[in-house]
Amino acid sequence: MNMIQHFPVLAVMTLFLGAFLIEILGRNQIVRNALAFAAVSISMVLLICLIRPVLLEGQVISYWMGGWKPVANYAIGIGYEVDALGLTFALLGITAYWLSCVYSFGYMKGKQHLGHYYTLFLMLAGASVGFFLTGDIFNMFIMMEIVTFSAVALTASNTEKTTAIEGAFKYLINCSIGSSMTLAGIALIYLNCHTLNLAQLATILPGNVNLTTLMAFALILIGFCVESAMIPFHASFVDAHTVAPSSVSMILSGMVLKLGVYGLIRISYIVFRAIDTSSLQILLTAFGTVTMFIGVTMALAQHDFKRLLAFHSVSQLGYIIAAAGLCTSLGLTGSLYHAINHTLFKGLLFLCAGAVIHATGTSDLDALGGLSKRMPKTCICFLIGAFSISGLPPFNGFVSKWMIYQAAYAKAVTTGNFYYAVVTVTALVVSVMTLASFVKVLHSVFFGQLKKEHESVHEAPGIMLFPMYIMSALCVLTGIFYKAFSTVFIGPAVFAAFNNTTYIDSMMGEGYAELFGVPALAIDKLEFSYWNPFVWFVLFVIVFAAACVVIFSSTGTRGRTLKSGGSYDSVYGTGDLSVDFMGRTYETGDPEEKYAVFFSGEKAEYSHAGGSDLFWGFKYNWHKYYQFLQGLHSGSVNDYSAYAVICIAVICMFMFLFMR
Amino acid sequence: MILANYIVSFILIALGLLVLCTQKNLIKVVLGLGIMDYGVNLLIVSAGFNEGGTAPIYTLSELLSGVPSTFFVAPVPQALTLTSIVIGACVDAMALAIVIMIKKRYGTIDADEVRRLRG
Repeated sequence: MNMIQHFPVLAVMTLFLGAFLIEILGRNQIVRNALAFAAVSISMVLLICLIRPVLLEGQVISYWMGGWKPVANYAIGIGYEVDALGLTFALLGITAYWLSCVYSFGYMKGKQHLGHYYTLFLMLAGASVGFFLTGDIFNMFIMMEIVTFSAVALTASNTEKTTAIEGAFKYLINCSIGSSMTLAGIALIYLNCHTLNLAQLATILPGNVNLTTLMAFALILIGFCVESAMIPFHASFVDAHTVAPSSVSMILSGMVLKLGVYGLIRISYIVFRAIDTSSLQILLTAFGTVTMFIGVTMALAQHDFKRLLAFHSVSQLGYIIAAAGLCTSLGLTGSLYHAINHTLFKGLLFLCAGAVIHATGTSDLDALGGLSKRMPKTCICFLIGAFSISGLPPFNGFVSKWMIYQAAYAKAVTTGNFYYAVVTVTALVVSVMTLASFVKVLHSVFFGQLKKEHESVHEAPGIMLFPMYIMSALCVLTGIFYKAFSTVFIGPAVFAAFNNTTYIDSMMGEGYAELFGVPALAIDKLEFSYWNPFVWFVLFVIVFAAACVVIFSSTGTRGRTLKSGGSYDSVYGTGDLSVDFMGRTYETGDPEEKYAVFFSGEKAEYSHAGGSDLFWGFKYNWHKYYQFLQGLHSGSVNDYSAYAVICIAVICMFMFLFMR
Repeated sequence: MILANYIVSFILIALGLLVLCTQKNLIKVVLGLGIMDYGVNLLIVSAGFNEGGTAPIYTLSELLSGVPSTFFVAPVPQALTLTSIVIGACVDAMALAIVIMIKKRYGTIDADEVRRLRG
């Protein structure tokens, strides 16, 4: 019994204690900020202390609440169990919370009820870290619920947007459906196994499939699919990410979605070990592929800065789940690497969006422009984030996406299944579309003409720039030192996912896993040969420069039709005129019916696709597809519930047909 | 009969989902959420039921001898159910509070009109 065993539970308790102290003492701004900063920092230090024993030495740290150790090989108490997989996610989480907390000091300054804001923020942080560290499946459910509550309240706390409350309501309903399904699954597991401890379940459940455990697996899988915003469940998440304060959007989009990813990996790799059945692999990769494609095509049609970023989150989560579903060590490495990268670059992009909103007060892409002259530092950070998410070398997105393409293609070769080749090609195409979408954002927010009303805007204050610099630095560092990074953080996590003997033994006593004959999944060695970023960097610089020349020279002549009496020099991004592909103009308010498909985002602030829209032709060719999809994103909570119910039914049927 | 419990619990969950999909009034949507929760609670508490069991409480003599003289139902699911009831109540309270705010800001609680975020 040494000191280090208490660190995981202390890391969680510090955050919850901080939440209560702020509620009591948080009237004064300095006390409040100091308490929040201290709680997050202490928790971060405690988790960093765990790196050496867990990630480097390969130990698994277990802790029984109140000393309730297993009796007669049955786990009764609640245990905390920290293996490399959980710790990697927890470290990622606490880093994101620390940066978001610092950013909040600047971004939320002068807002109302900040005491409650930081209380909820710390509860969100504590519950997320607890979710990653706990070794009890019911405790996972409780942490998920606390995350939902705090996230909903934080979303609704944005008083600047009237629609915030609507986003919060949809988010609550959607997450409640997911967590009710998870809870029903947990009840079925308890019915069958009479234990809730993950380590003990990992000895009982694998290879012991009956109808009850299959149903339980289906329900829990659905719960985590909801939490990670897979495609029919994603709509209300996008709404909530759009309307939350930017410091919270960063957490919701970058961190809270990872709860579902972690849960899926934990459940399918370690607890049920069902991932080596080919039908589950096909289910997860199909889910991921559809999600990444629909996410990115919807993002191309958006006209709200944060809504566009939220759809990109859905798309990137598709990559992560598809790669995790491949069940190869390269696939899981790519998946975890991309999960970490997604938190870094999507957090960075949301912080940049926050800086833009802080300066100009709007997130409408058509109302912004030319901000690179006024906010050069934000623009540089945004460029780094945009290049990372698009997978350009030498940034981190390139490394993880390259691993994912390679893993999917290797899977196609080894299984001889044409389906995985389709997955690979889709992933490549989606990456290109991501880049296209960010070129559009860069063009309409940071380049182009500065709007008259934004001539006096200033750069964000230093306390908001500081987290953005750190995240930009991390994006570059994890891209350049990919080998060291994946050896220290990702490798142990992948090993822990494939080989759970230590996990079980540490919790239930030595030799317990052997007693039950737990099978280990085969793990193959990683090769680091093909994705040297520098080689590709040279190629991409040339291609990107060529693409930039083509794009920026062609827009100079496109649609330059000025309506008589218009007060603008050019129609780019004005939003007042609608210019069709042939250069004809239409009055605002009297749009032709066939252009109605280009309306998007919030109805209250919608605008036409102006001349600033680079991908007008693409969207015109695809207008039937967009009409269909935007009709599905109807905004009604009933419709979103109906999609969820249909998906639940489909997944349950799939399980019963193909996994018995 | 314990089988009836399982059937009814899944019927309740299905009813809750049906309410979520069909009812336009947001208060009714929240009620659907509640019905779904009750179905799950019934499922958990049934999971711990033993035919002929009594409440899982030791009397002093049983505690001293260490051997229960009577047959208990499983205590863990009851604890889980209590937790789940508390969480369910919190969800409902929070959702209703948000519905009040929606009424204040939008002037309606019809799901077809509360959809400014879309597309």
